[in-house]
Amino acid sequence: MRAVEVEGLIKRFGDFEALRGCSFNVEEGEVFGLIGPNGAGKTTTLRIIATLLKPTGGVAKVFGLDVERRADEVRQVISYLPEEAGAYRNLSGEEYLRFIASLYSEDVEEMVEEGGRISGLGERLRDRVKTYSRGMVRRLLLAGALMVSPRLAILDEPTSGLDVIYAYEVRRLIKDYAEERGTTILLSSHNMLEVEYLCDRVALIDGGVIIEEGSPGELKESYGAENLEEVFMEATGRG
Amino acid sequence: MAKALLTLISKEVKELLRDPKILLGIIVMPLILFPAMGSAIRVSQRSVSRAVRRMAIAVYNEDGGPASQELIAFLSKDNEVSIIEAENLDEALRRFMEVDSSILLYIPDGYSEKMASGERCMLRLYAHLRRLNMAETGKASSVEQLLMIYGEECSLKRIRRILEEAGEELQPEAVRRPISISYASIMRGVVLDIPPQAIFGVIMSQNLMLPVMIMMMNVFAIQMAATSIALEKEQKTLETLMTLPVGRMTILAGKLCGSILIAIAGAISYMIGFSYYMKSTLGFIPQLTMETLREAGFRLSPLGLALLGAVIFLTLLLSLASSLSIAVFAEDVRSAQSLVGLIYIPMMIPFIILMFTDVDMLPGGLRWLMLIIPYTHAVIASKAIFLDRYIPVLTAVTYMTIFTLTILHITTRIFSTERIITARIRRWRIGRRGD
Repeated sequence: MRAVEVEGLIKRFGDFEALRGCSFNVEEGEVFGLIGPNGAGKTTTLRIIATLLKPTGGVAKVFGLDVERRADEVRQVISYLPEEAGAYRNLSGEEYLRFIASLYSEDVEEMVEEGGRISGLGERLRDRVKTYSRGMVRRLLLAGALMVSPRLAILDEPTSGLDVIYAYEVRRLIKDYAEERGTTILLSSHNMLEVEYLCDRVALIDGGVIIEEGSPGELKESYGAENLEEVFMEATGRG
Repeated sequence: MAKALLTLISKEVKELLRDPKILLGIIVMPLILFPAMGSAIRVSQRSVSRAVRRMAIAVYNEDGGPASQELIAFLSKDNEVSIIEAENLDEALRRFMEVDSSILLYIPDGYSEKMASGERCMLRLYAHLRRLNMAETGKASSVEQLLMIYGEECSLKRIRRILEEAGEELQPEAVRRPISISYASIMRGVVLDIPPQAIFGVIMSQNLMLPVMIMMMNVFAIQMAATSIALEKEQKTLETLMTLPVGRMTILAGKLCGSILIAIAGAISYMIGFSYYMKSTLGFIPQLTMETLREAGFRLSPLGLALLGAVIFLTLLLSLASSLSIAVFAEDVRSAQSLVGLIYIPMMIPFIILMFTDVDMLPGGLRWLMLIIPYTHAVIASKAIFLDRYIPVLTAVTYMTIFTLTILHITTRIFSTERIITARIRRWRIGRRGD
């Protein structure tokens, strides 16, 4: 079964057209990357799939569920990590994980324990979130998104704003989790090397449309490029 | 659904209560500020009453006759009277300014003679305002009252003597004041031996306290709800919250309930502090009046109490829903708090106007404008409940229910659309660049 089906997705904000007929599919169990520069339409696409925005036109489905008409059911099977997300500053890390877990499962403690393990925050989980660094908050949020064992994890720029070390840790974390659990992950990034490292398949998005889709290896081969950055530049005619 | 709601409420309460601004500003401050203000006023009132109780009165007795000696003896009973020895009034005033007393009674020459012949006598009081405080003016009016009492006694003595000389067997008090008035009031068909002013005092205290309480609770609730939704935007937690497997209505209900709980805690804290302040500063309603009113059945019936609860709940719900639907458009807490200020205007105006008058007494246009505002009906209902007039209460409850449901519907619509994510209004900037 396909985890995500996106067909001719259009999204307008007033006069501005953020998506202009975007189409791609994500197979169950794969790590799929949506890559493109800032303003390409990555976040808008992910927000529509995460049921936050309604499409102006086209269709988006998650495990066969229409994101617009069956939004409540979609939310039962996804978890979403927004690009510029924060956590409740006055809760401790553990309380935050417990809050998320309570909305997903009866077995809260087991989930919180798993969240603690994924985050790697150890004793710091007992401290208030307001005392955390940006990297620690990102790890906590990622743990919250992954500990609930979603059928589809949507991660918008998961390493956004992190330094090299934290970004490396977060990438490692996602890779290990995907390999261990076989969870479908749909992520976006403007960092082509990150996507190449993490994803089974990628879609290049520019100006609100998908311009190319395939595995990093296939794309590199078809464009005779050394990496996805070169592929993107060639595919968009900027090379 | 219930578990999810409890989880959301618990999160809301923790988030809000752990915010130092909310904890200090809404819960702790009223418990400190009002008692401190009340204590300060009580201390100053006590010092004034102590100062007035046994006063130091200076007397310049130019007359020196028996009637003036009698007056000085009367004043000396409960006060410290010091006689100023001087050649004339100017010297007496100079000496008076050197002594500790702040009141000088000047008894002019001829006082005793006029008293004996039954003529009207003029006395003069000089108040030395050294510090311009309440005690100084209080002393002047206390001495004036003492002199009035003394004058009354002199008058009665004189009337008694005249009556005796005329051989009349009349009561001097009746001759002096032939008419005496005792008040009774009729309320809800019951005749009460209480002056209308006293009843008005009791009703006013309820009319004042209840709307103040409702208004304060609403102010807290509006702030809480605005902060609650704006914090989600400011801390960038809203997007995550909106994708969790919980209905938008449950999220909205969680925010409403969490805000109500904090608002109630704030209102209780405010009322404890405020009632301490009121007790410290006022406490003017005689106990007897309260007891007589209670005996005559002037208390809230169970129906009245239930309706009052419904009115308060509806008002609160209306404020919260309005606040949430407005604050959704703000980008951060400060913008949200500025935006919800818009609700204070239609809320405060009826509370203030109807504290002093009835809606029926207002001119036509203003009356209709007031009646459109739902908060007007909360005040009308809270007054009518105390008078057992249930039809206006039910009308108010019906109108407020319709209005609240409409606002709740709008809020739910906003929560279920993407506007909750995309709406952005920054705080209005006041002042110029570079200021």
